[in-house]
Amino acid sequence: MITQRLNKAIQIGLLLFLLALAPAILLAMDSSDCMDCHSDTDMVGEDLVIEARTFDNTAHAELGCHTCHSSITEEHPDDGLAPSKAKCADCHDDVDEEYSNSLHAENAACGDCHNPHRAKGLTAVSGHDMNIQCFACHEHDAMQSKHTEWLPQADLHISMVPCVSCHSASDDYVISLYIIKRQSGTMFGDFELASYDELNTFSDGKPIQELVDLNADSYISLAELRMFNLDREKKQLRLQGMMTPERLSHDFQIREDRWDCSFCHASGPGAMQVSYLSLAESDGSFKRVTVEKGAVLDALYGTPDFYMVGATRSTALNYMGLVILAGGMVLPFGHGTIRFLTRKNRKDEEK
Amino acid sequence: MSSKNKIYLQPTPVRIWHWLNALGMITLCVTAVQIRFPEHIHLFANYKTAILLHNAAGLVVTFSFSFWFIYYALVTRNMFKIYVPSKDDLQNGLLRQAKFYLLTYFLGRKNPHHPTPESKFNPMQKSAYLAIMFLLVPLVSLTGLLLTNVAPMRELVMLLGGLKILIAIHFLLACSLCAFLFTHVYLATLGKTPMAYIKPMWTGWEEEDVDDHPHSAS
Repeated sequence: MITQRLNKAIQIGLLLFLLALAPAILLAMDSSDCMDCHSDTDMVGEDLVIEARTFDNTAHAELGCHTCHSSITEEHPDDGLAPSKAKCADCHDDVDEEYSNSLHAENAACGDCHNPHRAKGLTAVSGHDMNIQCFACHEHDAMQSKHTEWLPQADLHISMVPCVSCHSASDDYVISLYIIKRQSGTMFGDFELASYDELNTFSDGKPIQELVDLNADSYISLAELRMFNLDREKKQLRLQGMMTPERLSHDFQIREDRWDCSFCHASGPGAMQVSYLSLAESDGSFKRVTVEKGAVLDALYGTPDFYMVGATRSTALNYMGLVILAGGMVLPFGHGTIRFLTRKNRKDEEK
Repeated sequence: MSSKNKIYLQPTPVRIWHWLNALGMITLCVTAVQIRFPEHIHLFANYKTAILLHNAAGLVVTFSFSFWFIYYALVTRNMFKIYVPSKDDLQNGLLRQAKFYLLTYFLGRKNPHHPTPESKFNPMQKSAYLAIMFLLVPLVSLTGLLLTNVAPMRELVMLLGGLKILIAIHFLLACSLCAFLFTHVYLATLGKTPMAYIKPMWTGWEEEDVDDHPHSAS
């Protein structure tokens, strides 16, 4: 991991070094010059427009336009030359190697899934958005019927689990909690992922994080979660949990170990301890706020809509169940013992 | 002197329901353990098998419950009489029966309740079965049905307070049913012989000792 990061840093350093050596005319046009035109649809058209707010928050923005489009001159676009484009593999060589060897590579190039001007880190993308990306090619209904052939409650799984949680590898999974909102305003409208603007209407001018993080300490306690879930005024808002990977492998495939439900469902209360609240940002990305350890295992109000059979069972309920079962044993054992000791009385009575 | 009196206590539909229900309940209990503790219990080949079997057994219990309900409520129409304790049951019967189970049984006395087709259950049985058949089984079945397919009924799940509350209700009521099962099986062995009460549930006929000279007993 450290070697990969070092390699990447050297590559980026090298690119910057080459840029420094390039003729001064090349540097005369900087990223802000590019954006002067490319943030305006009227000037460059829909295909070439770049949403400045979204691009500025990508890791690519830090590199500047020239890093990837090095052939651009000050004469652009009057020179009529198509600007050069860096290959993704120039920097992301490890991902490229993994992806090139996958079945997926024959059907989609990097750009088919990732727009470099909008690219976000894994945790800045909601589980819902991850799936929308997959559904662009793998049509939703077809996937649902395909999964129904073997997966119990396939519709629930497909709507509540990012495809990549099963179709890529990760060492760690966490529970990401997203705020969803009842859409149509009617009593039984569907709940959908709440946008930044929608959440703003609920937060009374405060940062939307404080809808859940009541004391604004960037840490969501179990008590705060319960308060959010019990707050009647916020009934239009609910928390939806998804099991999301912390890292993605790019060898997207049918992973043999995921046919076994217990890959996700057999972790027991020892796992599923880590969860985050994923909050919509104004640029469409998501930021994470740490949630108290073990909150999703709370028996009732921590995450009332999130339950993974087997994996998020409550220890408190287990003990209550045990007491009830033990109660059922009292009569057989207690009565049975006295029955055995007094068996002579019944024989005498029969005589 | 005493002779045997045979009473046709359990009609065929009731026996079919009882054993179908028993098979379903036991399957539910066994599969439930693996579903809740998958990393510790491996009774079935895999988790999916346990879940599918649990769902199937749940449906068997739900349908057999409907069968039972229709039989007593619409065919024989004596459900109320059989399952609802009377005023006398509550005022005297419960205490009398509890006294038998906890005291006079050990002294070798006879059961104060004599079952007939119209009065099959003693007051304690009536009270227990009333709670079980009209509260516990319907609630466990309904919560189970909702859990079998959450997505289409999500709105109803939310009205009930969420998935966690639904699971908690299902789990605790199911534990209560299982706890009752232990007591039920034990009490079924409390006849004159351990099989005396179990046999009628299989054959329909119960044998009862009849005292030929009741006035001579004191």
